[in-house]
Formats: sequence, structure tokens, C-alpha cells
Amino acid sequence: MLLVRAMPLDTVEHARDALQYAIELEHATIPPYLTALYSLKPGTNQAIAQLIKGIVFQEMQHMTLAANMLNAIQGEPDVDNKCFVPTYPGGLPFHIGDRNGQTFEVPLKAFSLDVVENVFMRIEEPDEPIVFPTGTQMRALAEEQFRTIGDFYRALRARLKAEWFTGDRARQVSGIVNPVYTLADAQAAIDTIIEQGEGTTTSPLEGPGAQLAHYYRFAEIFHQRTLVPNAAVPQGYSYSGAPIAFDPTGVWPIVTNPHSALYPPASIQRVESDVFNQIYSNLLRALHTTFNGHPDYLDTAIGLMFDLKLQAIKLMSIPIGANSNAAPCYEYVAA
Amino acid sequence: MSYLNPPRLHFAGRFQAAPSTVNNDPLHFNNATFQPDFQQSPGGWWNPGGDAAWRLIDCKVTSAWLDHDRQAAAGDPVLTCLIGDSDRAPPAKIVDLDPEQQMVSQIWGLEVRICRADGSTLLRGRFEPVAFMDIWDRASGPGNDGDIGAGTMFQSVLTDLEWADVSASPFLIALKQAAGDGLLSIKFNVDGYNMNPASADFTRGRVVGTIGAAAAAEPRHFVVGRHFMAAARPGGNFFVPAGGVNFCAAIVDAAAGKIILDLGNALITKAPGGAPRDIGTLALAWQGPTPGTVDTINYTADKWYETTAGVVTLPAGRKLTAAELTAIGGHPLVITRAAAGANPRVAVAEAPNGTYVRADAFVHRLNPGGDANVRLFASKWGQPYANAHIVAFLDPSQLQSGDPPVPPVGTPTAAVTFLANLDADPNGVAELVIQAGDPGTVRSFIDGQLYGVRPMLAEDQAPGSEFNTDPWEFISLLVWSGFAPDDPPTWYGSIQPIFQQYANLYPIMKPIVDLADYDSVCGNVRMLALAFGLPVDNPNAMPVTRDLSDAKRKTILRWLAEPGPDGKPRKGTPQPQAAVAAAAVARPAAAPPAIAARGGKAAAASRRLALRNRTP
Repeated sequence: MLLVRAMPLDTVEHARDALQYAIELEHATIPPYLTALYSLKPGTNQAIAQLIKGIVFQEMQHMTLAANMLNAIQGEPDVDNKCFVPTYPGGLPFHIGDRNGQTFEVPLKAFSLDVVENVFMRIEEPDEPIVFPTGTQMRALAEEQFRTIGDFYRALRARLKAEWFTGDRARQVSGIVNPVYTLADAQAAIDTIIEQGEGTTTSPLEGPGAQLAHYYRFAEIFHQRTLVPNAAVPQGYSYSGAPIAFDPTGVWPIVTNPHSALYPPASIQRVESDVFNQIYSNLLRALHTTFNGHPDYLDTAIGLMFDLKLQAIKLMSIPIGANSNAAPCYEYVAA
Repeated sequence: MSYLNPPRLHFAGRFQAAPSTVNNDPLHFNNATFQPDFQQSPGGWWNPGGDAAWRLIDCKVTSAWLDHDRQAAAGDPVLTCLIGDSDRAPPAKIVDLDPEQQMVSQIWGLEVRICRADGSTLLRGRFEPVAFMDIWDRASGPGNDGDIGAGTMFQSVLTDLEWADVSASPFLIALKQAAGDGLLSIKFNVDGYNMNPASADFTRGRVVGTIGAAAAAEPRHFVVGRHFMAAARPGGNFFVPAGGVNFCAAIVDAAAGKIILDLGNALITKAPGGAPRDIGTLALAWQGPTPGTVDTINYTADKWYETTAGVVTLPAGRKLTAAELTAIGGHPLVITRAAAGANPRVAVAEAPNGTYVRADAFVHRLNPGGDANVRLFASKWGQPYANAHIVAFLDPSQLQSGDPPVPPVGTPTAAVTFLANLDADPNGVAELVIQAGDPGTVRSFIDGQLYGVRPMLAEDQAPGSEFNTDPWEFISLLVWSGFAPDDPPTWYGSIQPIFQQYANLYPIMKPIVDLADYDSVCGNVRMLALAFGLPVDNPNAMPVTRDLSDAKRKTILRWLAEPGPDGKPRKGTPQPQAAVAAAAVARPAAAPPAIAARGGKAAAASRRLALRNRTP
């Protein structure tokens, strides 16, 4: 469809390029989600935090699956690179989410229902979202056709060729995801990514008996109700389950779209922000090492993810100016 | 061969050490009396939210020496290199051995890199964990009290060296060639520590150091050479050298006619982290029937410390003569100082008989039934002391205890056994085997017991000898208590008391996992199994405090791996006595002693038995 489907996918080199972009795309969603997640003060808004945490974990799995697919066709994932890191606010790779020529700008922003609706649900939007009623009223979504993450993966899935899958199996990451050795493994990986993100065309579940796809989990947060089976409506589900309470006082008032220059040199905010960027960049390099022949290094990367969280929390508790707090910039720094 | 021999490079920059200070007070280990405000300042001392990170920050190469009198050429890329820590792993961790031995904090999981200015790695090596040595009252001037005014040093080796293409740097080519044993020697001095939480520089300080090649046969944590032994002046927080110059070491390169002296942790500064204070003309000299002076030391020159790391090669511009070398080879080296117009006097000197013995690895954690094999190196006039007679004895004098209910240290003495007399081999090396028994639960709420073992040359221990000894040069041992878990282990039966203590003492972990909460632990089983199963030198290893016996670790891992019928780690039934005990024990004072505000090290140092026993 449009730009995505116009992308050449005829050769293995094209497929490698596409999978490198896929890694970038999966990664690009993580800083905005983590910013919202960590802006929830510890001990508050826990149901929301749990939902976002689950989604972020799956995005990390998707990133790893994309790297496995790239390794399976003898590619070399490039994660340790300034160009790998998106600028916020900014568009997603492939112009995902753009509408009518308007760039879909993804910000780094504190949690709010607005950011859930207008950013996160749009990132995860299915090709044809199933519109479920809320407890009181129908919420209509725009009927327009637009490019989605799922579109991209479906196009890729259709063009992968079995004979490309000759990569060194020792480069595959396993444990948190399945390794990808064959075309069938890659197709299964893509199906997982699509269904966890947007659900199937007939169900909000990522698979039979499984949990909700990301789009619908964000929708639960937005509607402040869980999505439950409801025989009384034609769609079979409605946002009428248990309340998902949102306490706006349980959110740090962090700055939107922070960048290093916002923090004066040698200030506490700058020093702690620099530490955050260092941890984040070390995490990218740890993943680069993991995806390039040292799959066991994933444990080290996981350790860095915990450091990243603690440093984000620390930064978000530091005021800057009268009414706001600092926040992580997610900037790449050379070692 | 060590960092003192060329080729060597010097570097200077900042370091960060951000320990959690909740565990600075031994009484905070008592779960029954722990109070929530011990996780806040001031009850939790000055940095209760610390994460134990230890980092190298903005360290730049300041000079590089290919030979005694030959620096790397001006265009050598090494001169624009940085010295950094890992670019792809969590930061190293700084960890005390124990709340009653806080004077041997070790750096765990540090990776050291020499890299280009753009961060690309030229050399990567693993820093063998080591504790600091020779902490002293280094800074003069305002604001120098407590830990802020302290200076200390770390010496170790880099292993598992990974060299990138260094062909553009003649210096790095030479360093790589010299490191034929696959080891580099690294030593750095730290001072000027910032303890002000309102400062952007909080938990940071100055680091200045040296990297050279190491030989596998030599000790990894000190130099076999000429050791200057300071006399102690009473007072101060840590150690005040009577002559104004701290413990330091030198080597004599007879073939080159040079002496390389390391004053990096030996000279008083004008202020914390500042330039050396002018204490008059300093010179290296020798004693004996034909005394003489090697050279003066240009320590007051601008940027001298950052550029040299305090390492000086003497004499400048000439070689020592054969006669001088002969005299130096059999008589004490001394550092003299002289005020303008006054005669020089000795600031610090070698032992009168030139002898020295020291344990290489000087911090050990032992399980009951385990042992430590400690290499001792004896020397005389800087040369291996063949067949030296060495004695070893229990010496708890530098361990830190306190009045009850602070637990005692060093008892029962029967829990450690070792030979009291041993002889070095022809290379001056002896292996001291220290066997650990079970000290029991003599410290109640703190696992295990602490011991100090001091090696000494028999001749120096003789009655009437007045040699200066370095109070810090002894072997610290933490011997864990035996542990009998319930079977199968359960939360209430074995795990909760262990995890509650970690949750109390290391509150920074709470956003990741609340170890005091069964459900939170159950939600993180995979991560905990990973972290508790890591080698202790991995920066991610749990517990970060490295104070967990093998028996308890096995119990935790088994508990995590063998869930109960509900699929979760077994919960068991509450132990009723815990609540009763908590009610019965009086709440300890919330406010730490006043000295705590000056730092954990200064506070702990004030509790050393050697000082307490001196008090009438």
C-alpha cells in the first residue's frame, strides 16, 4: 500500500533493508511508551502501568524477532548507530501513521489519555480496526485508509523466499522469542508481531485464548474500562468491564520532547540526563552485540534495561523550572 | 613489570561512586528494628538512594611514556585517547565487604577501555576486582573533613584484553607488545569526593591514574619494589602521615640507571581534589654510610599531578652511577622535605633493613569449609626475598565494631585456621592457606563474621624492632555462617528474612522488584533467577552487596526454580516469632551519629578497634 508497498522487496538485499527498518520501527515505539510508563509515579495508576509494561515487553520481543529474521537471511542488524535513534518529536520509519500527507509526529510526553488516544492507539492501529462500543456510546473512528505497521509486515511476509534462509543459526536469539531458521519460522514471527500489535481481523485478541492486542489494550486505558465479551452488542465485545482508574495526580509533570540542550551544562538535570543517555546508548550497543553473534549478551542488555528504568525515574523526580520535571531525552552518545 | 615501567600512559578525569548508605550502620541489618526512615536521609545516612554504580567519567590521556626519558611523539593518537568504562554493559559496582569492614570497598564488574575521542574502542579489558588501599587524610584546607578530604587508590590488572587495530599509534603498539602475558597493570588514585546532594557533582570526584603492562608472575595489586613506610601521627579520620608524605612505592631500573617513584597517593593537596600543597623542596635520597640525593621532585609545577599521575622518573637528565646504584641497592631510600633555607629532613623512609611482605589479594569471602589461598610476596631492597621467614597472625585492629548492640568482630577465633609460620620460596613467594570453619551466628542479624590476618616478616616482628607498619596492609576475611534451609525452601521459612534485609538496605531496587513482597518477587522470578545466578564479578550480579553465602544462594535459586503446586515459588507459613521480637526490641535512634554526615568511611574508621582500645 502506497509508500510501504512501493518499497522494492524483490531481492534478499531488499528484504535485509526492510528488516533493518523493521528493527528501527519496533525500537522507535519504545521511548514514547517508556516515557509515558515511567511518568506514572510509583505506587499509582498501577493497572495502566501494567498494561503499558506488557506492551513494551512485546515491542522488545518484536525488535528481537526482526533481528532474528534479518540474521536468518544473512543480514547484520545495525543497532549501534546515531541514525538508528529517532528524533522526537518526529515521524516513524516508513511514515507509519501519516494521513493525507501530514506527518504523524510521535512525541516524548507524560502519560495522558490524550497521548494514549492520539499517539499510542494510532501507532498500533490495525488496518481495519474493529470498533467496539463503550458502555455508553459508540466511538466512531475515521473511515479512511492509512498505512499501518501491519501493512508493512504483510507486504514483507508475502515476498520472503525460502532459499534466502541460510543465516548462521548460532546468531539467533532464543528464550524470550523463538529463533528464526526457516521461511515458516519467519512467517510465524511476522504473524506474532502483527497479531500482538493489532489483533486479527475478526478478534481483538492476539490469538485464540490469548491476551488483547496492543491497540485494544491502549483502547482499554483510554476508555478506562477493560474490554470484555458482551453478547448484547453485535461486535461481541465492549469496553464495559472492570474500571481502569486513571489518577491524573499520579503523573510526574515532565517536560515534553526534552533534549540535552534544555538542561544547562553542569546542572543536576544535565548530569543525570547524560547518565541516562549513556545507559540508553550502552543498551543499544549491548543489543548490537547480542544481535551480531553473541546472543547470550542479551542478559547484559536486560540488566541495562533495569538501569534505564531507575535512571528515568530519578530524572523525572528532579524539577526543572517552576511547574515541570526533567525527563529522559533518549539521545545516542558515542561511548 | 607494572604500571610503573614504560611504556605507560597517565590519565585524569572524574569518577563516580554512588553506594547506598543505608547499610553504613551495622544496626540497620537488624530486620526486627529496621525503620522506614532508615531509607531516607539523614536516618539512612547521606545517600540512601545510591545504586552502587562506579563509573569513569571524562577521563583523558594526559601523557604517555615510551621509555624513561622519551614521551610518545606529539602526533601519536594515544595522546587524544580517552580512558572509559564499558560502552555496552551496566556500570561497575562499588561494594563494602561488610558494615564492620568498610575500609576495603571493592570495584566489581568494571570494564576499562582505551578509546579514540569518538568513543571507538582500541582496547577493552576486564578490571580484576580489587579494594582500595591506603586511605588517608589527603586534603588540607577548608571543607576537607571526613570522606571529602580523603584520598585512596586502587591497583589491579586488566585481563581478557581485546585489542582493535592500534597500528596508528606507536605507543599502543609498544604497550601491546609489552603486554605479552595478556595483562595490563592499572593503578588510579581517587580524591576530592563530593558528598553534597544538592550539587551536580554529587558522588563524584577526581581520578588520576596510570596504565602499563603487567607480568603474570608478579603481584596484581601492588608493586614489588621499594616501599616507603609512613609513621602515623595520632588524630585525623583515616591516617595522617607524621612526615606529611603517605605510603608510596618505587622501583629501581638498574639497567637504565633510573628510579620510578609513585607519589600519586602520597602528597597532601591544597584542597579536596586540588593541586599538591607546597610542603617545601621534596627530594628522593638514600641513607647509609655514603648517603646521597637522587634528585628533587618538581611536584609544584602546573598540572603536574594530572600529567604525571604523581609518577616521577629520577634522576632527570642523567643515569645513576654504578656506585650510586650499589649504595641504593643496600640502603634505605627516603623522601626528604626542606623548607626554604632549612636542612632537609626525612618525610618518609623505607624499612631500615629494606624488607617488605604483603598479601596480593587482600579481601576474601569464605564459606564454612572453604579456604583462601593468599599469595604473599616478600622482598628486600626491592628484590624477591628468597626463603624469607613469614609469620601470620589474627589482627582485628582495623575492623570496625562498636558498643552493643553493634555486634563484635573477630570471634570466635577458631573459625579461621592457618599456619602461623611459613617460608617463602626462592622467589620470595609463599602461599598462605586460610581455612574457614563455621563462625555460627555470633553477629545475630549480620551473616558470618569478620577476621583480619596480618602477614609480617619474622625478623620485623622481633621485640624492639621499631619498623613502621602500614595499618591497612592486612587480609580481610568475611566468613559466612552455616545455613540450614527448610526443605523444600519456602518464602516464610528461608527466603523472606534474607530478602527483607536486602529490601531494607538497598531501597533503590524497589521500582524493579520489592524483595520484601512475596507477590512482587513472584512477578520477577526469571529476572531474579538470572541475577542471583550470575558470577559475582558480573555488574548485574545480585545481591549487589555481594554478601550472600553459597548456601543461601543455592537455597534462593532452588526456591525460584522449584515452584509449588500453584506454579509460584512456595510461600509456606508465617513464622510467628518475628513480630513478637520486633515489638520487644527497642527502636534504635533514627539519627545517625554526627560523624555520619562526614561520610560512611570516616564514621566506620572512627569505630576501628585500634582506636577504641586506645580510649581509656
